[in-house]
Amino acid sequence: MATATVECPECGAELQLDEGSIKGEIISCSDCGVDLEIISVKPPKVELAPEEEEDWGE
Amino acid sequence: MDFSDQVQLLQGLLEQYSPSREESGAVAYLVAAMAALGFEAQRDEAGNAVGVLGSGPDTIMLLGHIDTVPGFIPPQIIDGKLYGRGAVDAKGPLATFVAAAAETGPLPGARIVVVGAVEEEAATSKGARHIAATWPRPTWCIIGEPSGWDRITLGYKGRVLVHYTFSRSMSHTAGQERAAAETAVDFWNQVRHYATHYNQDRPGMFDQLDPSLRQIQTSSDGFEEKVEMVIGLRLPTELTVASVEADLDHMAGPARVTFSSEEPAFKAEKNNSLVRAFLGAVRAVGGTPRFTVKSGTADMNIIGPHWGGPIVAYGPGDSTLDHTPQEHLELAEYRKAIEVLAQVLRSL
Repeated sequence: MATATVECPECGAELQLDEGSIKGEIISCSDCGVDLEIISVKPPKVELAPEEEEDWGE
Repeated sequence: MDFSDQVQLLQGLLEQYSPSREESGAVAYLVAAMAALGFEAQRDEAGNAVGVLGSGPDTIMLLGHIDTVPGFIPPQIIDGKLYGRGAVDAKGPLATFVAAAAETGPLPGARIVVVGAVEEEAATSKGARHIAATWPRPTWCIIGEPSGWDRITLGYKGRVLVHYTFSRSMSHTAGQERAAAETAVDFWNQVRHYATHYNQDRPGMFDQLDPSLRQIQTSSDGFEEKVEMVIGLRLPTELTVASVEADLDHMAGPARVTFSSEEPAFKAEKNNSLVRAFLGAVRAVGGTPRFTVKSGTADMNIIGPHWGGPIVAYGPGDSTLDHTPQEHLELAEYRKAIEVLAQVLRSL
C-alpha cells in the first residue's frame, strides 16, 4: 500500500513509497532507473544514493 | 582503550611480521590483545586468531586477514602516518575491528566475532575457508579490507590463472614450421581478442574481462621445444569461471591448459540493514558515504557466495598503497574508521 509520493531528483518522476519503507533504504526510480536513498520517511524525502566508484586493487 | 592504545594495538601487530604461512607470531599477539580486552580469544585449527565478545542469537562476523605480502617495513609514525607492512592491507582494518568492538563492548542480543584469518594473500584463503566451513552463517558479515573510512566496498572481481603448455618437435628456424613460442603468442592474442569482444559496450572496469600476461618462457632439449605461459584473468560477475575455462580450453587447440586460483566475482546487495547502518554511521562521523567495487579479489569472494547474507568490506586505508614499499595508514583515518564501525555495531 502506497503511503507517500516523492519526486525523483534525477528525472522528476513521481514515485510511491510503500508502507514499511525505512530510512536508509535504497530504491530504484521506475522511470530512469537511478538508485535513490530514502533519507527520511516522515516527511518523505529521497536523494540520489551514493554512486558506485571503481577501484583498482583489493 | 584510548586512541594511543588503539595505535599501539596496530603498531604492535605491524611489528609481528606475518607473510602468508608465517602468521603464528601475529596470531599469538592478536589473541593475547583480544583476551586482554575481554574477548574469549583463541587460535583455531586453521591457525586463525578468533575472538568472541558477548553472546546472543545474532552474530556480527568481522573477518579480516592477518597475513601480508612479503617485505617487512619497520613500523614507524611519521607526520601522523603509521608506516608498516600490512598497515593498509589489512592489519589496519583488522585492528579497526578489534578497537571498535572493544569500544562498544558486548552488545545486547548479539555476539561480535573478530577473525584474523591466515593465508588470504596466498590465494589459498585457508583461514577464510575454514571459517566458512566451521561457523554457522552470521547475521551480518564485514570483511576487513581497505575501502577508506567513508566508503563501503560492495564487490570484488573474480579471478582465474591459466597455465598454458605447448610442446612440438624441433625444426630448423629457417623452415616453415611455426615455433612453439609463436603458437603461445597466437593463443595470447586470441585471449585478448576474446576479452576485447566481450568488453564491447561494457565501459565499466567491474563489468569487463581483463586478461594479463604474467609469464612466458621457452625451453628445449634439442629434440622438442616447449613453451609455458601463465595468463591471469579478472572476471566480471556476469561470467562464470566454468564458462571462461571452457572457452579457453576450446581456443587452446592441441596445447594443454590447466587452471588455478579460481574465484568467482561477487557483488553484495546494498539494500539491507548492514549497508543502511554504514550509510548512517559515515554521516554521523561527518562524512559523505560512497560505494566502491574493486578490481582485485578478497576473502569476500569466498565468504559472500557461501553465506549469502548481508556483507560488505570495510576498513581504513588507501588501497593504492597495498603491497607497496610506502604502505602506510593515516592515523586520523584509522580513528574515524573505528568511530564509524563502532557506530555500525551499535546500530545493528
